[in-house]
Amino acid sequence: MASYFVLGIFTGLIYSMVALGYTLVYGVLRLINFAHSEVLMSGGFAGYFFLRFTMHATHISTPVRVLILLGGIVASGAVGAIVAIAIERFAYRPLRRRNAPKLTYLISAIGASYFLLNLAGKEFGRDPSATAQPITQSFSFTLWGAQITAFDLVLLGVTAVLFLVVNTLVSKSKVGRSIRAVAQDAETASLMGVNVNTTIASTFAIGGFMGGVAGLFIAMSSNVDYNMGFTPALLAFTAAVLGGIGNIRGAMVGGVVLGIFMYVPIYWIHQPFYEPVIGFAVLVLVLLFRPTGLFGESLGRSA
Amino acid sequence: MKFFERIAWLKLDGDDLRLGLTCFFSGVLLAIMTGPEGNLVQPVYAFQHSLFSSHVWGFLIFGVLLAAASIYRRKVRTGVIRSSRTVARRKPRAWLSDVVFSADLTTKLVTGVIALIAAVIIADFTGPFVPDKMGFHQIFSQFSHTRTYGYIAIIFWLLNAYRVRRHPKTQSTRSPSFLGSPGAMIVGGALGGLLFALCADPWLPVRFSFKYFALHGPSDNVFFHHWTTYLWTLVGLMVGVQAVNKKKAAARPASSRVRRVRHVKVSQNTRLALYGGALFVAVEMPKFISPYWQESIFQQIGIFCLLAIGLNVVVGFAGLLDLGYVAFYALGAYTNAYLTNALPIHPPFVLNAFFSIPFAILVAMVAGVLLGLPTLRLRGDYLAIVTLGFGEIIYVLASNLTSITDGAGGTGPVGSFSMHIGFAHFALNGLAITDDLNFYYLLLAFIVPILFLFNSLNHSKVGRTWAAIREDEVAAASLGINGLKYKVMAFAIGASTSGVAGVLSSVKLGSLFPSDFALQVSIFVLVLVIFGGMASITGVLIGAAFIGWILQYLIFHSFIDYQDADKFMYLGAILVLTMIFRPQGMLPSKRRQREFQDSDAGLGSADAMGTAPEGPLS
Repeated sequence: MASYFVLGIFTGLIYSMVALGYTLVYGVLRLINFAHSEVLMSGGFAGYFFLRFTMHATHISTPVRVLILLGGIVASGAVGAIVAIAIERFAYRPLRRRNAPKLTYLISAIGASYFLLNLAGKEFGRDPSATAQPITQSFSFTLWGAQITAFDLVLLGVTAVLFLVVNTLVSKSKVGRSIRAVAQDAETASLMGVNVNTTIASTFAIGGFMGGVAGLFIAMSSNVDYNMGFTPALLAFTAAVLGGIGNIRGAMVGGVVLGIFMYVPIYWIHQPFYEPVIGFAVLVLVLLFRPTGLFGESLGRSA
Repeated sequence: MKFFERIAWLKLDGDDLRLGLTCFFSGVLLAIMTGPEGNLVQPVYAFQHSLFSSHVWGFLIFGVLLAAASIYRRKVRTGVIRSSRTVARRKPRAWLSDVVFSADLTTKLVTGVIALIAAVIIADFTGPFVPDKMGFHQIFSQFSHTRTYGYIAIIFWLLNAYRVRRHPKTQSTRSPSFLGSPGAMIVGGALGGLLFALCADPWLPVRFSFKYFALHGPSDNVFFHHWTTYLWTLVGLMVGVQAVNKKKAAARPASSRVRRVRHVKVSQNTRLALYGGALFVAVEMPKFISPYWQESIFQQIGIFCLLAIGLNVVVGFAGLLDLGYVAFYALGAYTNAYLTNALPIHPPFVLNAFFSIPFAILVAMVAGVLLGLPTLRLRGDYLAIVTLGFGEIIYVLASNLTSITDGAGGTGPVGSFSMHIGFAHFALNGLAITDDLNFYYLLLAFIVPILFLFNSLNHSKVGRTWAAIREDEVAAASLGINGLKYKVMAFAIGASTSGVAGVLSSVKLGSLFPSDFALQVSIFVLVLVIFGGMASITGVLIGAAFIGWILQYLIFHSFIDYQDADKFMYLGAILVLTMIFRPQGMLPSKRRQREFQDSDAGLGSADAMGTAPEGPLS
């Protein structure tokens, strides 16, 4: 029971990182970024290649491992950000320039997602493969009957640091101010001298960085696969809605709560394939009873 | 330095650099996309391999040429290079003088020619043709490969020249050149296409191609031995002649006005003739093709069409996005499997597939309403993601609930269609190749009434309500329209059509595997609807037929390094490109096209995604 609870929390942390991308983009564009799953995937692949090329030696000392991990985080985050910016540039901006209806954004995004997904499948092959593991697996301790590994601690640390950084960035920095201004009213913001295009691109970049890092952690905990982004992204969207879409702190808490909701029932039903089913049920229930999420929508409007 | 001085007259600037790089990298991207499939053991090797295989150079050259053309075009536009309009004026006897009137057209022609050159280069660089399974053209392999590219280039070129119009100021009195007249171009294109079809068997699997004659003799040719052929031809000719006469009579008084080429008004009779012709082709064509193509082309296209016209109700008519369309398809198929006793759980009564259709409709519709009601109260984009999730859930359940669905191993044999009323007996064996044609006609018997139904639905009060919701939901609500009701209705209609398609294709599939119901199917059907033109039934059908055919064609005639698994890469690209350049699709419905134009101008929303984003964001 406790181990499922802990598993839920740590899986939920990954979801909350991804959910942040949804929430930020939703805040500025009022759109679900359907191509976010591919940001995850590309971050995963970037991490995979980075770790493959750096983890050659059989014995790597701990400081080097830390460096490799940091490098992997930066690499996958950067690739995630670049892919997110590219998605914005090629799938969204031409439509934005035209003031196109929302339907076209969604279709264009799903098209971009499928393009990237299958491009990765073609270039890197369609079979999953295991990622080199920079985090030691020999260390673990037991807390109330649940085993906690070094991987979990690293994940917790990285998520906490990244969330602090993003939260500060959005609430304190100049970029964050312009993001919030565009989220409130893009037209007025542009009249006030905010460069809306740059702001939107930087929003995608921040969300993409988080998504890329989440992709790295998914790659390290299981495999890389051209299709790896889909289910986590769907669940992360659920997390974003659960926390209140457009709400940064909501995304954080939503991910963890969703993780717990998803994994604790597995303790009783013993069928791990039910977890996306439970996640989906949570999504429908949230939409049915509390569409504004646990914390309400702060960046966006209410439903 | 001298080089720079020499090109200084072009006045290259940062934008040119950007443009050139974009074009060049689009060539590189094409090269990567079409390169060989990699594997993760040797990804770098695969990447290098794809970069250095021969055809890639063709694409790189293509990228360079494209860059040059784009920069040239930009320079003409900005007036750095003298537009060839003046050249045309000075030299009225130039053979293109009727064609080349505006800088835009010139550049179109220039790009067309460059496309031609590029295609020839690509064709030269790419490796030998993959011989198709019929083994017809081992000898002509290289030739036909080159030819394929050549034809692609010619099509491009014709498309480029299509919008040929006389220059409003100079109004040359000379008779238009061959290319100058759209009618002549269409006729020429049609004749060329026919000749092409007769000579080049890789394109059309039709039995009356010359090559088929040469190999099998004319005795196998059934085209001229079937009485329905003559009947149809007669009917078609009569209707056609009448329609053309009427159209001529109607067009005469208006001939003084400047005719616009792009919006041809089609009279009712012509339309009837077109419908009749389409039905003729749909009924007769499959008889003359080999059983393989009967199965793969006509039946798959039939299922695609059925799925696409159902999704068209949701995406086109109602302006909603349904990404879990395959879930209802799966529900229909598994309902049929259950009722024909193909699942591990046994039904209370075993039915034949005809009678499981109402149940499938019911199940799909109930699922649609249950899913749509809570979601559609909120923003429209939630529907997209909830249906996406639903599709995935159905897939997961179908794969894992082994005690109910037999899981990934596939179900038992699904019962087929049979009917015995009085003298009329109809029994179909979905798996027998001899019954392929019958299955196709059964499909047609479902598709045609559904087409009529949806067409009249679109022109009824319901259809007008959908249009009202699409164009301005708030205004519609202020007129007392219950938007939620009509949205859920559209969603449920789409779902039940998908359910029917599920029953039909479950018979064809024989036994059901969850992999037949993956998310990709939803995306695929979405591409069919979007490519042809959302809300335009004709567009959707032709789009579905075209994409269905081209995918099948590509299996035989590998386009560079095309593999079947790659198709979703190209389909995804089609979605993005269509949305950017032509959101109304290739053969748009007029109303939908106008909505998109209005929406671009800031009026209305052209979808039912709830309230539109506040103001332009750019």
